Amino acid sequence: MKRGILEKLTVWFSWAAGLTLLSAVSVLLGYLLLKGHEALNPALIFGETPPLRALLLRERVFDGLFPAVAGTLVLITLSIAWAIPVGISTGIYLAEYAGGRVKRALDAFFDVLAGIPSIVVGLFGFASAVFLHRHFSERIGPCLLISSIALSFLVLPYIIRTTQAALEGIPRDIRLTALALGATRLQNIFLVLLPKSLSGIMSGIVLAIGRCAEDTAVIMLTGAVASAGLPRSLLSQYEALPFHIYYISSQYSDPAELTRGYGASILLLFLCAALFSAAYGIRKGLTHFTLYRP
Amino acid sequence: MKKVSLLQTALAVSVLVLACSPAFCGSLDTFKGEKGVLKISGGTAHIPVMKDAAQQVMAANPGIQITIAGGGSGVGIKQVGEGLVDIGNTGRKPTGDEIARYNLKLFQWAVDGVAPVVNPKNKVKKLTKTQLMDIFAGKIDNWKALGGTDRKINLYTRDEASGTREVFWEKGLDKGAISPSAHVVVSNGAMKTAVAQDPYGIGYVSVGHIDRTVAPVALDGVVPTIETVRKGTYKIARGLFSNTKGEPAGLKKKFLDFLYTPDGMKIIEKHGFIPVR
Amino acid sequence: MKNLREQAAERAFLLSALASCAITAGILVFMVLMGLPLLREGGFLALLLNSWEPYRGAFGVLPMVAGTLAISLLSLLVAFPLSLGCSFLTSGIAPKPLRGPLRRIIELMTGIPTVIYGFVGIFLLVPLIREFFRHGSGMCVLTAALVLGVMISPTMTLFFCDAFDRIPSSYLKAADALGAGRAQKLIHVMLPTAKKGILNGVILALGRAVGDTLIALMLAGNSARVPESVMDPARTLTAHIALVIAADYESPEFRSIFTCGVVLYLSTMVMTFLVRYLARRGEGNI
Repeated sequence: MKRGILEKLTVWFSWAAGLTLLSAVSVLLGYLLLKGHEALNPALIFGETPPLRALLLRERVFDGLFPAVAGTLVLITLSIAWAIPVGISTGIYLAEYAGGRVKRALDAFFDVLAGIPSIVVGLFGFASAVFLHRHFSERIGPCLLISSIALSFLVLPYIIRTTQAALEGIPRDIRLTALALGATRLQNIFLVLLPKSLSGIMSGIVLAIGRCAEDTAVIMLTGAVASAGLPRSLLSQYEALPFHIYYISSQYSDPAELTRGYGASILLLFLCAALFSAAYGIRKGLTHFTLYRP
Repeated sequence: MKKVSLLQTALAVSVLVLACSPAFCGSLDTFKGEKGVLKISGGTAHIPVMKDAAQQVMAANPGIQITIAGGGSGVGIKQVGEGLVDIGNTGRKPTGDEIARYNLKLFQWAVDGVAPVVNPKNKVKKLTKTQLMDIFAGKIDNWKALGGTDRKINLYTRDEASGTREVFWEKGLDKGAISPSAHVVVSNGAMKTAVAQDPYGIGYVSVGHIDRTVAPVALDGVVPTIETVRKGTYKIARGLFSNTKGEPAGLKKKFLDFLYTPDGMKIIEKHGFIPVR
Repeated sequence: MKNLREQAAERAFLLSALASCAITAGILVFMVLMGLPLLREGGFLALLLNSWEPYRGAFGVLPMVAGTLAISLLSLLVAFPLSLGCSFLTSGIAPKPLRGPLRRIIELMTGIPTVIYGFVGIFLLVPLIREFFRHGSGMCVLTAALVLGVMISPTMTLFFCDAFDRIPSSYLKAADALGAGRAQKLIHVMLPTAKKGILNGVILALGRAVGDTLIALMLAGNSARVPESVMDPARTLTAHIALVIAADYESPEFRSIFTCGVVLYLSTMVMTFLVRYLARRGEGNI
């Protein structure tokens, strides 16, 4: 009798939990769509400037999200550019060269890095910017360069971990085949192991891209501002989509701006969802492709 | 629509002025051929005016980029002093100490006030100074005591870098305490939003920012409007300053001068402040 | 007989690894350095236990520590049952064809940006809480904890699912062979075996909750006082950094945010090591 009740309760509990979580998130999404769907048109991004002229950089956009979207895209590109070489090399080292105690120590470091709150990384970036400004060059301050480097610190653990996991997941026979045929370790890595783990690495990169797209804490301390137009140079301040949403949420000046904020949220949501699905698709697709290619 | 007509008005005014006095160039003409980046940060009350002015300048001259950030008066002073920005805005006059330390040059271009505000739904719309001080100190904590509904008073205050806060504390609260349980918001815009969304809230905001979403509270019988500030009957007034490190030159100087031209003053008035020469 | 290129490549990889470590350590070192004057004057413990009253020269971070603890622990309370239940669903209770899609939906949920949770929270949840409880402004510990709980639930669920996945299939097959029903298998076989993994997931999720900035910044009111009830506004260490960053670079206020940074760094570091320690102990068992 008692046992039956416990089981029934567990089932009830599980379904209740699942439905609660799903409905909470659905309410969130539904509310956004409800309040923001009317903002979903080209004017959201381009304001009153004709889209073609804005894209060709002939005219500036003042009332639209174009500068913020452009800023986010440039930021993502730069951060990933810094993070990929260091991350993949470190992952290779961890998987292929490090042994025993060194590996455990390095592992510990990267676990700590992965756990550091994003605002602490942002604080580090800001403090570095001020430090560099004082001691190196008057021209350096919180800017795109500093933001992208700080952001790359944030996503480094993602890339390191996925590279390491992907490389370590390669079956032993494949690992040893090239070596048995006389290839050097380096040749083995670049010609056999990396291509095989590409899907894992790629999905890690895409996840890192998603993280860069949505992060607000780091950029709000290192160079994102309320109004800046398109990013001009590495040393300039810039706008970014998540920061723009945060800014609107606390200080919107009229209902139109608030609706734009909802629209911006929907845009950001789609962007992150697309990146996430891409990561999943890449993992599945590349695996299928590499395994079933004759 | 608004922007186009403003630009047109600006251009029309420039043409008129040009026609009337040969020595006067169109205010945006001085920016012709200028290139470069202008970084502005600091007081949040200044942001609407800065944004508008920057937009006009940038629309006429694609070679110029102007970035605007907030942060509060404290940030404006520090950043311009450190050279991180070109123009630092403050909602209070920088202290002698600050001026000496950073070699600041002050440019006041408007007069503004700081007013206590409540939600438009709130019945309580007038207070005496003592009541105001007691509310912010936390001594009066229910609207019931002031003739309103029986709900706790939600206090909203600004962060420590705020010039608005400094002025309100000095002149409005006579340097009295602000309860540590008050909600902290980071800008004039944020204060407005917070009070507009909270029927039981009270805060303080720049007079120029007051619109239909918040209701000003009459202090000792005087309703804070830009008129009463101009006349001097509303006492909690302050200047809006833009400061540079050392004498401004080039793009900085041109932008600051622009604020004193008729076009600039039009922008200042449009956003609810009193332009100053 | 390693050829030069091999050695160079190995050195290059090692260098990257060391650089990554240097960054990790560097962040802590930098923050200690920047906060040093304040630490020296006040003493670290004094700072931790003082309250925040800058006009009286007190730059302690106690209210912020209290705020962080209150909001994160409460959010764990919200998230734990939700995540446990969802992980049960995905790992056993839901019918087989549903499990895969369910898991994918949860994975997708982890990608929702934090700023959007905050944004919807301000406009939807805050007025709701204000009117439902008839108290305060709606921006309080409870609101922030609820939203934070929902935010960390998908991540926590995935950690729990991973823990369940790691159970040796022989255990599961044995339970099936003995005729156990879905719930019986879960309660009596899977749960006890995955205990360590679940604890692991809880600690990691706590780390995420402690490190979150935006939800607390936007929803908890940011008052600088130790919250006395869940309906009081509060400020977390993370929100404090975001708020005070704007101040004077040499002021004690500014240096106090480096104290916050150090506290945050050290606490997440401790949690990380705790997880690793538990994992190593676990390996000894199975």
